[in-house]
Amino acid sequence: MAEALVLLTEVFLVAVGLLLVTLVWRRVALGRGERRVREAERRVRPVAIALVEGEGGETTGLSAREQAVLADVLGRYARKLTGDADARIGAYFHDAHALRSALRELHARRMWRRATAAYRLGDMCCPDEATQPLLAALDDSRREVRAAAARSLGRLRVVSAALPIVEALVQRRVPNGIAGQALLELGTDARPELGRIAGHEDPSVRATAITLLGLVGDSGDSHIAGAALRDPSADVRRAAAEALGRIGTFSDEGALRAALDDRMHFVRAEAAATLGVIDAPEALPRLVEIARTDRFRPARAAARAVARIDPKLLTSVAAAPDAGPHLHEAADLLAV
Amino acid sequence: MNDAQAVPREQPVILAADDDEDILALVAFRLERSGYTVLQARDGQEAFELARSEKPDLAVLDVMMPKLDGFELTRRLRAEEATSRMPIILLTARAQDTDVAQGFDAGADDYLRKPFSPQELRTRVQAILGRR
Repeated sequence: MAEALVLLTEVFLVAVGLLLVTLVWRRVALGRGERRVREAERRVRPVAIALVEGEGGETTGLSAREQAVLADVLGRYARKLTGDADARIGAYFHDAHALRSALRELHARRMWRRATAAYRLGDMCCPDEATQPLLAALDDSRREVRAAAARSLGRLRVVSAALPIVEALVQRRVPNGIAGQALLELGTDARPELGRIAGHEDPSVRATAITLLGLVGDSGDSHIAGAALRDPSADVRRAAAEALGRIGTFSDEGALRAALDDRMHFVRAEAAATLGVIDAPEALPRLVEIARTDRFRPARAAARAVARIDPKLLTSVAAAPDAGPHLHEAADLLAV
Repeated sequence: MNDAQAVPREQPVILAADDDEDILALVAFRLERSGYTVLQARDGQEAFELARSEKPDLAVLDVMMPKLDGFELTRRLRAEEATSRMPIILLTARAQDTDVAQGFDAGADDYLRKPFSPQELRTRVQAILGRR
């Protein structure tokens, strides 16, 4: 029995020793690998800068490893620079092995290889070559790959990807933050596409499109949000009322005033807030009424809207005994 | 290093400070190509010491740097007799209006948001040095 215990202890100690040796060896190997990458970056950075600055950049003498490091450095420059850098980086990758390799890796068996390839494609500034493969990657079985593809489509400003990204967003196939960032990166070029998506059959897609239009659009798009105030879906009406707070004009006042009588309280709340933002004095009587009598959210929003539009009126109505807590609070905040 | 003041320089000297090697190398390349001598620093403290010893004609500073951030570095450079009038351009990914205001409050002369265009940086440097 004692001999067995001793033997077991020895086996255990040997196993622990082997594990420690393996960990140390792995740490050393990783450190050496990181040093090699840093040294390679130092060697290829002048080449990358010359390429980015349009001064040539000799790449023929680079090894395959250095070419891969150069691709990473150029990818970082694509994220950090504006101006002509994107076009020059795209011109380099157009004929580079790194682009073909990333496109091939999108079909790799391992998830992390596909995700890395999808991510890298976003920094290679080659939308013509990368768009279709990345759109296909939005339907990948793994969330990490889909997220990387959405991010890259946004980076490449592929306007035609707006609908697939919105769909991926509402179906929760891509994290909200990444899809939202990608859609915002499409910028104002995406306005016509978002206008079309606002007519989509799925209310969640319509609501997201209207919200985005409010973020990247301008007053020229307010008619789309104005029409969406009459949408059968309350979520779309709420998104429309909120979007009009950013892109709405005085011409949207009538539709917003009608939305103060919406059957859903959160639509009334957004409409009241937006009427305050666009400064609509015609809406004051109804806003005061809502501030006195409606549920918490619309009442508070209406009281604050009254404060924005006509502070003197707010002070006088808040002095009435039946003014209610929201008008009182708005008047207190006004005094502050 | 009073020599730096006493001897007229053939080329204006610019201090570039950034902990991001990619950006630092690119800024140095662009400005050297435009005819400037560039001193490079990789953290705020190194930049402060270089500025005091070399008295550059202009500084391009990152905001988020180790040891001393760009805002504090700008304040300290403004407080130093030798560098109080040195033009400072802040180069940063912190792009909120409040960050820009904080940069100007600290004493910066100009503010460039990342991602940025190297050509725009060169143009701003030329414009500031041309006014002096």
